[in-house]
Amino acid sequence: MRHLFLAGVPAMAALLLWTPDPVAAQTPKSPAKTYSPRRMANGHPDLQGTYDLATITPLDRPFGTNAVYTKEEAHKRETAAALQREQGDQAIKGDRTAPPKGGDGSIGPAGNVGGYNTGWLDPGSTYTMVNGEIRSSIVVDPPDGRVPPMIPAAIQRTTAGRARPTSDAQENANDPGLEKAPGAYDDPERRPLGERCLLGFGSTSGPPALPDYFYNNLHQIVQTPDAVMILTEMVHDARIVRMNAQHLPKNIRLWMGDSVGRWEGDTLVIDTTNFTNKTRFRGSTENLHVVERFSRIDDRTLLYRFTVEDPETWARPWTGEYAWPATNGHIYEYACHEGNYALTDIMKGARLREKEQASAKAAR
Amino acid sequence: MRTRLLTTILYIVVALLTAFTALRPAAAHHAFGSEFDANAPVLLKGKIVKIEWVNPHTWIHVEITKDDGAKEVWMVEGGSPNTLLRRGANKNTFPVGTDVVVDGYQARDHSEKRANARNVTFPDGRKLFLGSTGTGAPNPDDFPTGKIKTPNK
Repeated sequence: MRHLFLAGVPAMAALLLWTPDPVAAQTPKSPAKTYSPRRMANGHPDLQGTYDLATITPLDRPFGTNAVYTKEEAHKRETAAALQREQGDQAIKGDRTAPPKGGDGSIGPAGNVGGYNTGWLDPGSTYTMVNGEIRSSIVVDPPDGRVPPMIPAAIQRTTAGRARPTSDAQENANDPGLEKAPGAYDDPERRPLGERCLLGFGSTSGPPALPDYFYNNLHQIVQTPDAVMILTEMVHDARIVRMNAQHLPKNIRLWMGDSVGRWEGDTLVIDTTNFTNKTRFRGSTENLHVVERFSRIDDRTLLYRFTVEDPETWARPWTGEYAWPATNGHIYEYACHEGNYALTDIMKGARLREKEQASAKAAR
Repeated sequence: MRTRLLTTILYIVVALLTAFTALRPAAAHHAFGSEFDANAPVLLKGKIVKIEWVNPHTWIHVEITKDDGAKEVWMVEGGSPNTLLRRGANKNTFPVGTDVVVDGYQARDHSEKRANARNVTFPDGRKLFLGSTGTGAPNPDDFPTGKIKTPNK
């Protein structure tokens, strides 16, 4: 689901592609040395602004691709994505018939009944660019650009817990837990956090904050000497980072973890622990530890780098990075519960299926 | 020669795949398979009577006229309204009375007149919502009386 429907405006792509060589010279590898960001009254860099995280760079590097795309490769892929989007916008027959009985063949969460027109979607249209490199994955370490495989104990644990969907279960379209695990529809609390309007889909709020390959990718940073707030449009998540503070006692657990921040030179470092066992980012435990590093690349762009570790899930820590370009767009409210008819329809649907199965069994 | 043949075959495969995926609406964000009934396809032709501009999903209310002449109001589910808002569209862009054609599948509970909006178009088949962003965004003034710009052209 993630890569099929990519945005269609090649303007940014063109900008990226026609930038004269050497691109690297324009985005220095050590921004702090050659670039002095605008500053707050206390002398620390001003990271405030609204950022649009949309990108077509996936978290995991596709097999068989290099870490960095050439301009030509990126152009080809971005153009293909744009074309696909444009085709999705084309008119169809006005005098069409209803879709086929038995389903339209769509897979994953679209569940054989289809999803939305491309008109509803607003994913990225370009690959993320870091150090002048057009990146094929957000993950940069391990060097193969892919999230390390889970250790056997973690696989066992997550398999046993499949009926308790995780915060990013939506992204795992083939995850049997979402639809087929016993008990997946037993009560609303078994449904994924995004479906319940609790946290964004696919770790949009994080930490680590990942792009939503669908829409509503805006994030806003508000900064004071004592706290930094990161607001994620989907699903209205505000994370408060306490500066130069100690972590909360271990028995206090938060949906997005407990974040404390400090400055290392011109880089804001945010350390997050104290997660619950309800979010389970990519199958991790509540002992997940995330370190994020925010720095300014230029007046309009932040570099976001994160390292994730959980020895009970992965044999080694892993790191990702991507650019957060500023946007002139506004974050809109994402009040979600009031209009969430879908959840009641989903639960009702499950009860009806149970009844049908029971009466079919009785008839046998 | 052989290379050229292989290249041609590759192009055809890619073109077919592209055409196939482009025709399909995008995968949903939540359990559509549980919410809607794959055995109950619907085609709704009628007028917009209300739009619920809410998250997580916009609901468009469409009044149809059944074969026996009776009126019935259906609710069809779309995506998040925030994206449309950013493009300059809002609930006034599609006023009450706009004629639409919707295809989708009915909610599993058939007592509900609800369906997913696989495609929402004007009667001539043009899509109500276009997926452009930035400078290619459709001009709200162009809705709904026609002249919808095809983005990037």
